[in-house]
Amino acid sequence: MVIDIHAHPVLFDVINPDDETLSFRKKQLGVYKSGRVPLDFALRLMDDAGIDKTLILGEDYSADSPRPLVSNDEIKTVLDAAPGHFIGFAGADPRKEDAKDELERAFSKLGLSGLYLNLSRLRMFPDDERLLPLMKLCEDSGKPVIFNSGYSWMPDTPAKYSEPVRFEDIACAFPRLRICLSHLGWPWHMQTVMMLMKYPNVYTDTSLVYMGTPTAWYSQIFTKEMDIGWLQNSFADKVMFGSDLPRWRQVRAMKGLRDLPVRKDVLERLLGRNAEEFLGWRERDDR
Amino acid sequence: MIVKLYEKQLESKKEFDLILITDQVREAVADSGVKDGLCAVITQHTTTGIMVNEGLPDVEKDIEILLEKLVPHDDPYVHTRMLPSYGTCSGNSPGHLKSLLAGNHCLFPVIDGKLVLGHAQDIYFAEFDGLLRRKYYIHIMGE
Repeated sequence: MVIDIHAHPVLFDVINPDDETLSFRKKQLGVYKSGRVPLDFALRLMDDAGIDKTLILGEDYSADSPRPLVSNDEIKTVLDAAPGHFIGFAGADPRKEDAKDELERAFSKLGLSGLYLNLSRLRMFPDDERLLPLMKLCEDSGKPVIFNSGYSWMPDTPAKYSEPVRFEDIACAFPRLRICLSHLGWPWHMQTVMMLMKYPNVYTDTSLVYMGTPTAWYSQIFTKEMDIGWLQNSFADKVMFGSDLPRWRQVRAMKGLRDLPVRKDVLERLLGRNAEEFLGWRERDDR
Repeated sequence: MIVKLYEKQLESKKEFDLILITDQVREAVADSGVKDGLCAVITQHTTTGIMVNEGLPDVEKDIEILLEKLVPHDDPYVHTRMLPSYGTCSGNSPGHLKSLLAGNHCLFPVIDGKLVLGHAQDIYFAEFDGLLRRKYYIHIMGE
């Protein structure tokens, strides 16, 4: 199974009934010239890329914004419009008193599969105590968390709040909580490597192509700045394919991974198996 | 003088996709009421083209092979960076350069209310950056 673990559904037509809503989302995420994407066309693009499921991220910054960027109900709308094609992650704004209640509702009533947080947008460090109830709920519910890590292209997102090593306290305090430090934590990717090796519950994704082509960029990161043996032999079970849709087209981001000089079993892990383990669909072998 | 502008939409099915649009252009000419004049077919995009060639699959494949040789996918292109005005990454330089080679439009005579084409000629909307939903114009002017 091929899974894209990192996609923003902000342009999907089924959650953008009017231009005002679409414009709000485009400005918030910073995808200015992009247009509305019909859901059936998004499915054709997934099919063209050979992707079985795409994980779509809910995002809630409503403590300082008129409405969630993508609400949990809107994530549910996409799931219902294309059953079986998407995995929905919830958003919750930890600055709001009802954040835990909303997350509970997203899990129990809407059936969402995990939580997404961009602490740079929230201007919260990972050791902020307001995160603890959400982390505990996710750990107790068996739901994983994806954090923006390192660079975020979204406007108004200071990177200092998402430095990978700052997530160490969460990884220690919640050892049964699977967390993804997305974007490989670039430009602090060596910190992320340490986190992957040290903590069995820490994962990352490949939504980090910020310069050049995916093929050239992944080659730079995994074969020049690292030895390819690091990925193949030390954390092959921790890296998940993520496109960062709509920043990159899924088929092109995936080509970059397919061009890496890695074994077939490693590529299969990157493209899907690791995501299945992260999502709790498969047992992880910790030996 | 009659001037008619038609906006047509289509959806490409793959990254390189030569889509025959001859029938759509003929229909527009017939609908326009122009008896003698000129018909322009113009793409709205910068990674597509409008081309004329013989509508045969082997010719289409040779065109694809030639353009791929001239504009390889993995050359070190300059247009490979984050675009602040889009909020996305530019990964489609080959499409832009193939569009340059193909040209953005073609012109055809209209005589006796009909589109004039050579017996082997067909009109293509040429996709170099698919899959995408695309638009092109058919602009007809005359008496």
